[in-house]
Amino acid sequence: MAVDTAAGRSSRTLSGSLGTRLRRFGEISREVLRNPTTLIGLLLIVGMVAMALFAPLLIEPNTPNPYQMPRDWGALNEPPGTPGHILGTTQQGGDVLYGVIWGARTSLRLSLIVVSVTVVIGLIVGSLAGFVGGKVDELLMRLVDVFLSIPELIFALAIAAVLGPSFGNIILALAAVFWVKYARIIRGQVIHIKQNEYVDAARVIGDSKLRIYMKDVLPNSITPVVVQATLDMGNVVLIGATLSFIGLAEAGLAEWGVLVSQGQAGISAGRWWASTFPGLMVFLWALAFNLLGDGFRDILDPRTESKR
Amino acid sequence: MQIRDYVLRRLMVLPILIIGTSLIVFTLTRIGGSPIGIYLSHEMTQDEVAEIEERYGLDQPLPVQYLTWAGGMITGDWGWSGVAAAPVRQVFPNKLGATLELAVAAGVVAVALGIGLGTYGGSRRDRLPDHLTRVFSISGAAMPIFWFGILLLIVFWVGLGWAPIGRSNSNLFQSIAHPTGLYTVDALLAGNWSAFVDAVWHLLLPAVTLGFGTTAIITRMMRSSLVETLSEEYVDAARAKGLPEKLVLRRHARRNALIPTVTVIGLSFGFLLQGTVVVEIIFRWPGLGRWMADAVLRGDQATIMAYVMFTSVLFLMVNLVVDVTYAYLDRRVVLGA
Amino acid sequence: MRRRIDRTRSFWAILLALAMVVAACTGTDTSDTTAGGTETTAGEETTETTGTTEAPDEGTDTTAAPSDGAVSNPDTFVHAADDEPTSLDPAQVEAGEGGETVILQVFDRLVEFSPEGPDLVPGLAEEVPSDDNGLISENGLTYTFMIREGVVDHLGNAVDATDVKYSWDRVLTMDLPESNAGVLAENISATEAPDPQTFVVTLNQPNAAFLNSVVTLAVASIVSEEAVEANGGIVAGEPNEFMATSPVGTGPYVFVEWNRGENLLFEINQDYWGTPANLDLRIEIVPDPDVRVLGIRAGDYDTIETDPSFVGDIEGAEGVTIFQGEFLLEPIHIAFNLNFPPDQIPADDTISADFFYDPLIRQAFNFAFDYEAFVNGALGGFGAPTPFYLPQGVLGYSEDLPVYSQDLAMAEQLFTEAGVWDEGFTVSVIAEQGNLFEIAALVLKDSLEGLNPNFSVNVLAVAEAQFDEAHASDPLPYAMWVKNADPFADPHAFLHEYMNPDGNWGQVHGFRNGYQEPDQIAEMIDEASVITDPDEREAIYQELASILYEDPMWIIAGNEVAVMAHRDWVQGFVMNPLWPRPSLKFALFDKG
Repeated sequence: MAVDTAAGRSSRTLSGSLGTRLRRFGEISREVLRNPTTLIGLLLIVGMVAMALFAPLLIEPNTPNPYQMPRDWGALNEPPGTPGHILGTTQQGGDVLYGVIWGARTSLRLSLIVVSVTVVIGLIVGSLAGFVGGKVDELLMRLVDVFLSIPELIFALAIAAVLGPSFGNIILALAAVFWVKYARIIRGQVIHIKQNEYVDAARVIGDSKLRIYMKDVLPNSITPVVVQATLDMGNVVLIGATLSFIGLAEAGLAEWGVLVSQGQAGISAGRWWASTFPGLMVFLWALAFNLLGDGFRDILDPRTESKR
Repeated sequence: MQIRDYVLRRLMVLPILIIGTSLIVFTLTRIGGSPIGIYLSHEMTQDEVAEIEERYGLDQPLPVQYLTWAGGMITGDWGWSGVAAAPVRQVFPNKLGATLELAVAAGVVAVALGIGLGTYGGSRRDRLPDHLTRVFSISGAAMPIFWFGILLLIVFWVGLGWAPIGRSNSNLFQSIAHPTGLYTVDALLAGNWSAFVDAVWHLLLPAVTLGFGTTAIITRMMRSSLVETLSEEYVDAARAKGLPEKLVLRRHARRNALIPTVTVIGLSFGFLLQGTVVVEIIFRWPGLGRWMADAVLRGDQATIMAYVMFTSVLFLMVNLVVDVTYAYLDRRVVLGA
Repeated sequence: MRRRIDRTRSFWAILLALAMVVAACTGTDTSDTTAGGTETTAGEETTETTGTTEAPDEGTDTTAAPSDGAVSNPDTFVHAADDEPTSLDPAQVEAGEGGETVILQVFDRLVEFSPEGPDLVPGLAEEVPSDDNGLISENGLTYTFMIREGVVDHLGNAVDATDVKYSWDRVLTMDLPESNAGVLAENISATEAPDPQTFVVTLNQPNAAFLNSVVTLAVASIVSEEAVEANGGIVAGEPNEFMATSPVGTGPYVFVEWNRGENLLFEINQDYWGTPANLDLRIEIVPDPDVRVLGIRAGDYDTIETDPSFVGDIEGAEGVTIFQGEFLLEPIHIAFNLNFPPDQIPADDTISADFFYDPLIRQAFNFAFDYEAFVNGALGGFGAPTPFYLPQGVLGYSEDLPVYSQDLAMAEQLFTEAGVWDEGFTVSVIAEQGNLFEIAALVLKDSLEGLNPNFSVNVLAVAEAQFDEAHASDPLPYAMWVKNADPFADPHAFLHEYMNPDGNWGQVHGFRNGYQEPDQIAEMIDEASVITDPDEREAIYQELASILYEDPMWIIAGNEVAVMAHRDWVQGFVMNPLWPRPSLKFALFDKG
């Protein structure tokens, strides 16, 4: 059930001449900025990405590895407002603000890598299935079905579990789980185009499959892929943080899920800060990308337009 | 096509999917990780390690191991759980009962609140209540369950001192029999009111946490379906007939709005299932999710495999039921109205 | 229109029906066999915290502790353990895991440690064999135990010397890889029961530590021949399910029931040959530290497994006392591997195979480590640095023994002398995730990296299963690892295991590659093991301590102090670290 994306049904495409495309892009941007919820999402994203990019300037990077939380065995469990630790410290003396800022950087890395990789894999698999068709299509779609039959988090959990606790393995696990949606989108597009009349016309003219692909499949797919990718930028971090929370990231990583997990032990003693602030960041990140992604979907998908 | 044919086709594909899943799960645990690690103690000689390998069949060639395991899954031998120090099959039912109770409670919360809020917002379209419910429903999808649960703990458990963690008070729990494995139901069956209250009291925070995301999704679906339906022609016709607004809402709009909602409810099952892992960790709930988390951290492959297979099969079957139901309802709507 | 409602309703009806069916399938009773005939219940984890809890920084204390001072559960002693046993069978239990304490309560051994310290007192044997009473032969190879009369097991069967022989032979025959059978096999050459009240053991070689390091162990507990034979008997290489889940012994507590994931129940053995217990016993399984803390504050638990790092959260709680005892005998150590296969260690490691051969480097590591940070960070202050394997409480310990403390200048000097200061190095250290071993590894990392930015330590915090597998490998594919030592009562056991070039770790880690005088060390250790005069032994050990200090094969991060929180109403509280964790014999306690 593809309740989530509008694969194959979007007519608000970016196909056409370059001029048309740019104009469309301008229109879309304006609509994005006009919608309050989407705007909020965009602003949040800009804010957090800026925080991630400027992290080394905002707070002194830890040596030798800035992605590791600094440890100060003499300043354990300080509450917020302690001089030098505006958001407090963790049970290993790590500055919570450091975790918040560098955690943004970690999240940006994670989401960019996973989303790019999964889009590419999905593109390849989906195109293969759609174009080649027949047995290959059957096989690949069965594979997709099998992957979809295992709930996402549990699948990622199992993969990360057997690979071992590390950030790299979390990336692998998420990539292995998230590619399927893109494969479906692209395949749907390819099949839709194949069935479409004017492609037969193009073939009559002699356009090669590759040209059809570049001219029609890709531009038509961009919309649902963009919507999905935007949503995934948020969801990857959400599920990634959940995996780290459960304990599958490496020790001492400056990552929001790790920090929330570490902070749990102090809650019964009233130490709320080590979990609350990093967790809030996960929420804001996922929220921002969800708002933007939903906004894109509303704008780009005519079917949902009628609901406004 | 005929509903019957559709159902049959889906049913025939089901075993293939299950086998495919089992192959993936099995391969995963053999290419990475160390299936034997959980059974070792930290000071064993190589000979002793070899003996343990033999005991658990880990010295066999991989295809044999797979067949033994897969066969065991069907016949009821689900391996030995290192984390629980007992056969998986023996420990499973109790933990399942705990998780089931939690998931059902969360589902009840989500459905009740979701339909209610969605109707409330959808019927007052574009006014303040609508905007508020929209914000709520969007934030629900983005909410990290582990954070929300911890927030609730901080506010209600540590701050206000309401609502305990864990599943029950051990004295009350041991005072009743447990025919179903669901504490609430067992307490009612035993006629033990304080045990029932104890059960519900412990269920409260975890169920709200687990159900939060689903509530938001249902709210949103309900709201948008309602809005869409309210603008349909035949509703206008009903209004034109002079029916009071409330009746219009109840009789026509809500019914049609329920169809996509039903689909979402089925889909949310997957989210509820996955959410239990985190919620059970935070609230110290002795269910399947927590067991899986321990298994994952400690490398207990037998438990991991059993859990993934179980949840996948369940997920597949629920999806099947949902798809069939949807096709059934959808077809009649197209034909009927 | 009406038909649609029916369909939606029927959908819900089906869902509800499904739910009930699943519920019916999950209601099976999974409690284990009960020996005591009490009501069986489904095994659920039921740990909880009662309603009101308050953060300690807020002034008012509104814990639900019984305000009138009434004792909770007056007939039962309740202990909250942090993990669940794997097996309750002496012939199967793993050294150091949760089942050992159950065995301590349910079984007897020939001799036992007295509650006060390392002295031995009679158990099932009427007297502790010694040179003076002639029960140890001249050559130190034969020990004779006179078995008490009138001992019965929990089922009423008589227990005598034949059962003792049966018990020990059973361990050796079953020879389960996870068990501690190796200790018996290493030492014993023959067992005999010439008459029902006499048990004779012949050793392979003289061992001054035989009594306190072998006979007192859980694996040497005395089981009942009749009970075992009636329930599966002895099968070589195979566990005995009956004994693993519902043991029958002669001790002060009778096993009643094991509710998996929830608790273990025991009742007083009325026919005990010694002083009977005062209260029934319930061991609750509560893996979460904060649930244990809240439970003891509420009075649900009388004692709890206490992690030093959260003692601060209990201190000052009404009705709770923090008992601080002797040091545990499980120093936390970081290993140097002189025998790792260079192609198998993590790819990032830049050290050569002979990196740790140089004593200067090993000394430098020892000077670099921040012992204070570890003791404060991981042990919450409840611990101290300790000399090499002569921890306080063990023969040979003295305050004057050399102990490493952090000296960064020294460390720099030694690293420079060894020639690695400028170039630096990268090394990985593997530890179990999520506990104080991980913290020790992190402290090592911070200490070295803070000293010289060219030094890099990668901490691999892995699942327990992965660690155990790596740890059991020979050769071990990591240059460094963190764990605690197994507790021993006798210095010989420690030194042989961890310092002797011909001992277990000596071989696995290739100590001979690094020791300047390996033969001397081996000789001294062996010599001290056969001498029975404690003063002579002590002199040798102290000389050894200085040699080992100059040529360290480990970093000893620290030694924990035994800490336990208990309710004020517990009477007769005593802890002996020589007893398996939690180091308590519940039969000694009363409440009121």
